[in-house]
Amino acid sequence: MSLLDRKLFRDLRALQSQALAVALVMACGLAMMIMTRSLMLSLETTRDTYYEQHRFAEVFARLKRAPNSARDELAAIPGVSRVQTGIAIQVTLDIPGLREPAVGLINSLPERGEQVLNQLHVRSGRLPAGRTTTGELAVGEAFAEAHGLKPGDHLSAVLNGAKVPFRLSGVVLSPEFVFEAPPGAALPDHKTYGIFWMPYKELATAFQLYGAFNNVSLTLAPGASERAVIAAVNRVLAPYGGRGAYGRIDHPSHRRVDDEIRVLQGLSVAFPLVFLSVAAFMTNSVMSRQIALQREQIAMLKACGFSNAQVGLHYFKFSFAIVAAGVLVGTLGGIFLGGRLVEMYHLFFRFPQLDFLLDVRVLVAAVGVSALAAFVGVAGAVHRAVRLPPAEAMRPEPPASYRPALVERLGISRWFSASFRMSLRNIQRRPIRSGLTCLALALATAILIVPNSFRDGIAYVIDFQWDIVQRQTVTLSLVEPGPARALSDFRHMPGVVWAEPFRFVPVELRAGPITRRLMLQGLPERGTLSRVIDGRPQQLTLPPRGIIMSAKLAAVMQIAPGDFVTARALEGREREITVPVVGLAEDFAGTAAYMERHALNRLLLEGDIINGAHVVVDHGRWNDFLDAVKRTPRIAGCIIKDSLREGFRKTTAESIGLLQKIYMVFATIVAFGIIYNSARISLSERSRELATLRVLGFSRGEVGAVLVGELVLLTLAALPLGLLLGSGFAKGILTAVNTETVRLPLVLTPANYAFAVLVVTVASALSALFAARKISEINLVSALKVLD
Amino acid sequence: MSAPAESNLSSHTAPQRGSEPVFHVRGLARIYGEGTAVVTALAGVDLDLYAGELIVLLGASGSGKSTLLNQLGGLDSPTHGTLLYRGENLAAFDEAALTRFRRDAVGFVFQAYNLIPSLTARENVALITEICRDPMAPEEALALVGLVDRMDHFPAQLSGGEQQRVAIARAIAKRPEVLLCDEPTGALDVRTGITVLDAIERINRDLGTLAVIITHNAILAEMADRVFTLSDGRIVTARTNAHRGAVRDLAW
Repeated sequence: MSLLDRKLFRDLRALQSQALAVALVMACGLAMMIMTRSLMLSLETTRDTYYEQHRFAEVFARLKRAPNSARDELAAIPGVSRVQTGIAIQVTLDIPGLREPAVGLINSLPERGEQVLNQLHVRSGRLPAGRTTTGELAVGEAFAEAHGLKPGDHLSAVLNGAKVPFRLSGVVLSPEFVFEAPPGAALPDHKTYGIFWMPYKELATAFQLYGAFNNVSLTLAPGASERAVIAAVNRVLAPYGGRGAYGRIDHPSHRRVDDEIRVLQGLSVAFPLVFLSVAAFMTNSVMSRQIALQREQIAMLKACGFSNAQVGLHYFKFSFAIVAAGVLVGTLGGIFLGGRLVEMYHLFFRFPQLDFLLDVRVLVAAVGVSALAAFVGVAGAVHRAVRLPPAEAMRPEPPASYRPALVERLGISRWFSASFRMSLRNIQRRPIRSGLTCLALALATAILIVPNSFRDGIAYVIDFQWDIVQRQTVTLSLVEPGPARALSDFRHMPGVVWAEPFRFVPVELRAGPITRRLMLQGLPERGTLSRVIDGRPQQLTLPPRGIIMSAKLAAVMQIAPGDFVTARALEGREREITVPVVGLAEDFAGTAAYMERHALNRLLLEGDIINGAHVVVDHGRWNDFLDAVKRTPRIAGCIIKDSLREGFRKTTAESIGLLQKIYMVFATIVAFGIIYNSARISLSERSRELATLRVLGFSRGEVGAVLVGELVLLTLAALPLGLLLGSGFAKGILTAVNTETVRLPLVLTPANYAFAVLVVTVASALSALFAARKISEINLVSALKVLD
Repeated sequence: MSAPAESNLSSHTAPQRGSEPVFHVRGLARIYGEGTAVVTALAGVDLDLYAGELIVLLGASGSGKSTLLNQLGGLDSPTHGTLLYRGENLAAFDEAALTRFRRDAVGFVFQAYNLIPSLTARENVALITEICRDPMAPEEALALVGLVDRMDHFPAQLSGGEQQRVAIARAIAKRPEVLLCDEPTGALDVRTGITVLDAIERINRDLGTLAVIITHNAILAEMADRVFTLSDGRIVTARTNAHRGAVRDLAW
């Protein structure tokens, strides 16, 4: 170790708490960046590998029924590589020990050979034996976990009105169901919705579909146009009740994974950059101070023959040492937190294996950015120091010149105490430094706003979605759309207090070149249970003509109220209708479109048809009600609102909650780091002044007040700015993570602001206290000495 | 009372004005460090200093004169010996009592002036007058050092001599009992030094303040009532001037 390096090492030790503060702030930014970027990489890599190895299809289609011969027509479409046809049917389940009725989507396994596409990954047990054995099912992992099901367990399913006992042969995963949510639902409910597989023959026979299929998956030949293939598939399937083919982008499971990656992307840039800029500023202020303190040492080194480059390198090493510490802590922190979040992703996404992959490119980039920031932060100060001729540098710096502060010229200065004036003039003498400190403090306040706005947004969504929009207890759906008289049957079920019908039609909405597939919901004109709410939030009345859609959907489709949109029904008769958009609804999970039910029935040229009803149930008769649901074969599904809410709390809310906590800790560290550092630098710069005051008879408290006065003024200026900036950050980040499947509203509460102000105030108070304690360490006798 | 062998006891301690001394110092020692690194900065000093006296402490660098001044000013505590201020034991003062002592009784003048750069001359003085019991107006204090017309200038706008006179105004505005000056002219040229010493002399004469000046410049001894020379932490010579020389006649 050279002697200069030894000096570096000792100087660093003397400066350890400040160096640590800077390194920690940098570590927070790096950890956040590494965590989010690596999670993106992990999800993307895992997804792509899984899709590739298990041959996830690229185009999907549902239809009513087509003979197996139609398969050859599909295979003959130019640009189609492989085709897999089969059956997928929704059935009611009876799970031992589960009071609520559950719904299963049963998919067929090929009669001969293996699946060509969407191959299953067997987690435990095996696939159903097929031709020789009957009564076996493979179950998706999420549902199996929610119910503690293992291979060998039993459950019953209602197949075409007949209750059939099954034995579970194995627990499996499918690339088609990485995210298992009921059709049309944005949120999973693994308790009441599961995915199953059984041999084609057994399933087809039960539903009189043998020799036919209702489900198609296919892959594209290299270079084929997805749009052209989808159009051709639709032409082939049209006579068989095709419900419109779609690509991966509209595939619900694929899209959910994509959206999660987009959320991470939104969090991975702006927020960490704020942290890293703050760290760069802190490095600059620490190093500038250090170099100013060592002015004479630099002169001495140069006088003794060290070159400018050697001296410059010495101070760069100083800041790089801080960067190195930040990088080390940040990388380890990012890896650790990323690992935790990956575990959390198992709640949502079912991959055979989801491992945390460190994104090395981002790590290298982040280290580069931090090192560059440190370099830029120090370059100016080093340059100034080495430029001075040694003889001049050895003399003490001339006294700083001051002027009366601007506010004093207003003639109100006689109200100010001397120490207040000192603070004002100090701030004004170095406007850039003061401005940057103020900005850093504002940033510290601002980054505290963001995580809590997430929390408040979640709370708002929970209230909004399940208290304001959805006020039913359960949603019952019929096996097949049927006449509205079913409504009176629902109303007569035990425990039912009120029921309102709905008609759900899968449609493809089109506005110009943009299309979206979703459930068009036909609801009562002004229902009391499932309501359409706008952003204010007030209930909207569904007009006899026209469509109301999610504000997000309108934004995506680039349409506004007054524009027209075309809806093509994807079931029943091929029918295309063009209706005006008459209003925008507020919602936060998925997107939706609404029409008055009778208007929808009329447009579809159908009678008074419903798919089911939203129902309010008397809690005293809850069990009677559930028993009745299970006894009614026409009821295909029963979605219990409270379980959805619970599911949301346990998954989405928990994941965002974890992120919120991580960000909160980071933001607090940064707030403390910035303020502590400012106080220390102020103490260092003014120690001689403060010692003089002590010698002149100021008490420690009075000197403390002089020291923190400047910080208090800057903090006071920074707080409102910080609240403003924080609101902007929150808005920016929420916009970045605003996807079609998940959104959070911007909710900024007084409590959120108050908390940010409190943390910054406490951080300031503690830093001030700490600095004030340091005042007693100032050597009073040193004030009497001449600086030389 | 044991007499130091190498000096004239009567000059150290003899009451000159028949009153109680402001400082009563006996066997004062200050030792820094431990073991092999022990440095004896003061090795047994006996002194009595009286109100209205102008005292000059001479000595080379390291002779202990600054240490002695720090002891008198309540900036440091003795290792051994007696240090009484107006009959009170300074060595036994706690932090708060020392702060009060410095605030009310002592005026400091430093070689490097130690003005607050962000305050004007007037404000630098007012800073102190705001916190003490019976101060004079800052303007009055500045008038005493001849700086009335430069009151609203910042330190950076004042010459060295002017800055030092502001420091003196700051020190005397509290009407201190004792004015302690550490090389007050050390950073100044002759002509400017004279104006500063003149200010100190005038304060001492007009207000009856005990003034203690430490310097390595023997010429200043002419202006003193009594002169002490320190070496190796002891007083080696003590002398009483029959007549104080006028500051204007000092020449170096």
